[in-house]
Amino acid sequence: MKIEERDGITIITTDERLDAVVAPQLKEAVSKLAEQAETKLVIDLEHTRFIDSSGCGALVASLRAIIKSNGDMKIANPSPQAKTLFQLTRLHRVFEIFDDMDAAVKSFTSS
Amino acid sequence: MDDELSVKIEVPAEIILLRPLDHFVRILLGQLPAFSGREQLINNIELAFDEAFTNIQRHAYRSQHKGPVTIEIKVGPHSLEFRFEDQGQSFDPSSVQPPDLDQPAEGGLGIWLMRQVMDEFHYHSEADGKNVLRLIKRFPQHDGDSA
Repeated sequence: MKIEERDGITIITTDERLDAVVAPQLKEAVSKLAEQAETKLVIDLEHTRFIDSSGCGALVASLRAIIKSNGDMKIANPSPQAKTLFQLTRLHRVFEIFDDMDAAVKSFTSS
Repeated sequence: MDDELSVKIEVPAEIILLRPLDHFVRILLGQLPAFSGREQLINNIELAFDEAFTNIQRHAYRSQHKGPVTIEIKVGPHSLEFRFEDQGQSFDPSSVQPPDLDQPAEGGLGIWLMRQVMDEFHYHSEADGKNVLRLIKRFPQHDGDSA
């Protein structure tokens, strides 16, 4: 998992899997980011082939933490498996999901 | 099931084994003709396997006692079966409420997901304290990537 900041937007790039092994790390990282108000966060799933229910739970927890501190969170580059899982769990209605990073980043300035 | 392939392994319920085990299942399925060109089917079966092992590690053994998990994988011409055995805390599947998908939660999706992506979900506890979970997936008969 990699965390970087670009033009005032924090980008977390997850690894090949977002599963029960790494979900606690994502939640902790976002919890720290949410200590600062109005954090703009993109979770970049470009390298993430596989997500399980623990990964979904970490994303839900992350969104809640960011919203609570008046920030916003977007998801970029979901894999086919992630898209299928988000639709099955209806999380595609909860998250703002973009097929590429540019669109996710631009969405902060257009909103 | 007329078994074409049967694999049985025993591992401790360590979360560090989740990825190697998922990888094993994925690579195994990817080599079988029944799964050729069926990436979504493989994804779904990998997900069910992942959720089952995680549930045993997290709930049956409560993430602490790294008890044994026996995993049997049977692949026949028309279906696949996972059989998980553990010696941890049992549960009543009928008491597990389906998630309210309009109120997304941080947990509670695992069993529901297994039921969604597999065709059969069977769970029982035996007198000697052994818990048995069986997940069965029948292969779609038509061509193409269907899950």
